[in-house]
Amino acid sequence: MTSTKRLWILLGILLVVSFGILLWAGTQISQAAPPMPERVVAEDGSAIYTRSDIEKGRQVWQSIGGMQLGSIWGHGGYVAPDWSADWLHREAMAVLDAWSRRDFGTSYDKANAEQQAALQGRLRARMRTNTYDAATGTITLDADRAAAIAAVAAHYESLFGDDPATMDLRDAYAMKNGTVPDAANRQALSAFFWWTAWATVTQRPDSEITYTNNWPNEPLVGNAPPPSTFLWSAFSVTFLLAGIGLLGWHHAVTHGRTEETHRLPEFDPMRHIKATPSMLATAKYFWVLLALFVVQILLGAITAHYQVEGQFVYGYEMANVLPYSITRTWHTELAVLWIAVAWLGTGLYIAPAVSDYEPRFQRLGVNVLWVCLLIIVVGSFAGQWLAVMQKLGLDKNFWWGHQGWEYADMGRFWQWFLFIGLMLWLFLVGRALWPTLRGNSEMRSIVGLLFLSTVAIGLFFAAALMWGERTHISLVEYWRWWLVHLWVEGFFEVFATAVIAFLFTRLGLLPVKSATVAVLFATIVFMAGGVLGTLHHLYFAGSPVPVLALGASFSALEVVPLAYIGFEAYHHYQLSAATPWMRRYKWPVMFFVAVAFWNLVGAGLFGFLINPPLSLYYMQGLNLTPLHGHTALFGVYGMLGIGLVLFCLRGMKPELAWHEGILKTSFWCLNIGLAMMALLTLLPLGTAQLFASLAHGYAYARSAEFMQQPFVDLLIWLRVPGDTIFSIGALALVVFVAGLWLFPRREDEVRERGDGEAPAAAARHGR
Amino acid sequence: MFEFYPEIRTVHIAAVLASVSLFALRGIGVFSGARWPMAAPVKLLSYTIDTVLLTAALMLMTIVQQYPFADAWLTVKVLLLIVYIVMGILAFRGPFSERTRIVIWAGALLVVGYIFFVARAHDPLGIFAQFVS
Repeated sequence: MTSTKRLWILLGILLVVSFGILLWAGTQISQAAPPMPERVVAEDGSAIYTRSDIEKGRQVWQSIGGMQLGSIWGHGGYVAPDWSADWLHREAMAVLDAWSRRDFGTSYDKANAEQQAALQGRLRARMRTNTYDAATGTITLDADRAAAIAAVAAHYESLFGDDPATMDLRDAYAMKNGTVPDAANRQALSAFFWWTAWATVTQRPDSEITYTNNWPNEPLVGNAPPPSTFLWSAFSVTFLLAGIGLLGWHHAVTHGRTEETHRLPEFDPMRHIKATPSMLATAKYFWVLLALFVVQILLGAITAHYQVEGQFVYGYEMANVLPYSITRTWHTELAVLWIAVAWLGTGLYIAPAVSDYEPRFQRLGVNVLWVCLLIIVVGSFAGQWLAVMQKLGLDKNFWWGHQGWEYADMGRFWQWFLFIGLMLWLFLVGRALWPTLRGNSEMRSIVGLLFLSTVAIGLFFAAALMWGERTHISLVEYWRWWLVHLWVEGFFEVFATAVIAFLFTRLGLLPVKSATVAVLFATIVFMAGGVLGTLHHLYFAGSPVPVLALGASFSALEVVPLAYIGFEAYHHYQLSAATPWMRRYKWPVMFFVAVAFWNLVGAGLFGFLINPPLSLYYMQGLNLTPLHGHTALFGVYGMLGIGLVLFCLRGMKPELAWHEGILKTSFWCLNIGLAMMALLTLLPLGTAQLFASLAHGYAYARSAEFMQQPFVDLLIWLRVPGDTIFSIGALALVVFVAGLWLFPRREDEVRERGDGEAPAAAARHGR
Repeated sequence: MFEFYPEIRTVHIAAVLASVSLFALRGIGVFSGARWPMAAPVKLLSYTIDTVLLTAALMLMTIVQQYPFADAWLTVKVLLLIVYIVMGILAFRGPFSERTRIVIWAGALLVVGYIFFVARAHDPLGIFAQFVS
């Protein structure tokens, strides 16, 4: 049996076992999720909330942008508070204050330490006790809590309306006035927030741990990290070290064993590939993605600025037109969309080139898919805007408006449309690759792996279709992370590794056999941690302890291959200078090197910073999360998308000389700008929040009181230099690509003029 | 942020002085045939100063709640800033004779001088405001 076949079998077994366990974890989450009560009543029997209040409240929350405005159980936006933690803190304070006035004749703030400790002890026992009766579906609360709930609900109803009393808070939370104009909807919204807070403080039956594994950290009610978070954090670090050791050993044993003599081609093998009509038709994908990228940056700037001015952008009352909730939605969604468009375009471009086969009507398919993508972007964005502006109605929101689940926000209709679009993409790529996949060439295996990762990217979008309008939030989170995590930390990684290796083999720089083995091995390593690592997003989303244990252990393994990514980066860098003609590909390869760098820093270091359960217990939803998000999503997949686009453009217009200076500006500005955003704002702000979370509880770290301090304002302003540099990088990229069409310079003409800015041309001709 | 207004204003003014001085010196250097004005560290220094200047300007705007296209003097400042940037690029990299580029460079300095008076007077007419009123 060949080593390639052995690895394929191993990969198959790994995927079957991993997905089997992941599905089992789903059943555990389903059984252990916090119950949805039919009724919530006070001890005197008076109704507080009903199930339909809570469910309607969730619909209202989703319609205003859901996770894009504040967060629930730590998942969502960072400017407005975590509503579960905020409600919990306010309710606890309301009860304590009422008791203090009754027992000691003074407010809780003014009671002495001994009195406060006594009240807190009583509160912990009262609030943590589970009074849910499964037989009747009823939660019964004492009169003091009922009164506290009414007070907190009144606060929220004021906040989400346009009451002048809470204007300052709306400003601090970047909420528009009249976020929920309908009073009945505001009331329902408070029911949903209350239920999410109830789950954070109520102990599971026969347990001392709450439904959210004691998250958030709230000293008033005795919410502190449970022992399992300590245990599995320590084990996860141990597993990481063991994994690094094992992979190091494997590298030491196999290094040099598979070296084969490989003769590098004298001329660029891809230079004379004739672009087919469908390949040329992909150019419009690249123009559109650049437009989406620029719009995404602009929306990011507005979203960040809302942290300073609340409802205004440099004096203009932007919140009336594009509130924070919508700019953040589009910013996060465009991040995925433009990167996805880069990959779709690349797949459609390289498939006919690989097989040297242009199927009938392929160009028509490419054009139809492009039109579909435009309709999806415009249609889904319009629906989200109408939803957030509360012009759509709750009954239409799920299908046409804003689902409120971060990264899976678009209405269900648009999700189906996108899924069908992805299937069309798979069909188009698959039919063009078919001759190679069926043949016996040595490229078959690596092309198969590349195709498999694209199939997985397409099919796994179906995870977004697994939840319904009323599915329990814990299960929505489970499927949502199937989509986000398995894409980003599973199949995207495989696609990135496979596509880069594939391109180098096409260029004749890597022997096909050893590249195939390396990619297969990397796939096994990525998927070993990647599949079950999904569960690390679900530590505090209503999951039981075994899910936490699995998530902590396997997500630590995700970092193992990243620890060695320097080998890959250096290897790619070497390849960029392997032959004189490789200078034509210098900048695509430099972007691939950046992919490796940010994979280590953004995904590896900043990812692992928030990965162990004990760390995440305090850090979830602080600015350390976008630190990982920005550096990993743009740093890895954004850079990869740009590298792939440049690669395709080189093939699409092989005769043109490139303005290398503009690309150099773009490359360095994008990297330096990203690093500055991370190091000047997100890391220090996240760390300051972490200190606050550790010292005073999670609600304080997310509160307006903390976030409106002058030093926080200053840190947010420090984004401007980095963001400006980053924007220059993006604009330089746009100028470069536009220049290829608007001001093309042929290499031979440049050579005749002796223009020094065309080293690729000089390199090709041995100068 | 209001607490930091004096400090941010100082940073803004210092960055303006540094930016314009460097531009003037680089011009003298370029037109006397020196190579240092276009060296990477000097260009990087210039970008750094300008980024600090821009950041401080944006912060001041939100503190004093006065904005371009809402307050005339700031509108004029922003428009003239664009003119200054374009002239600066043309002076150093434009496809013109050296004499023309010197004229453009001197013109850019005059424009930035006018911006200074607009900023001082908080009036789009700058130093000429007193004669009009």
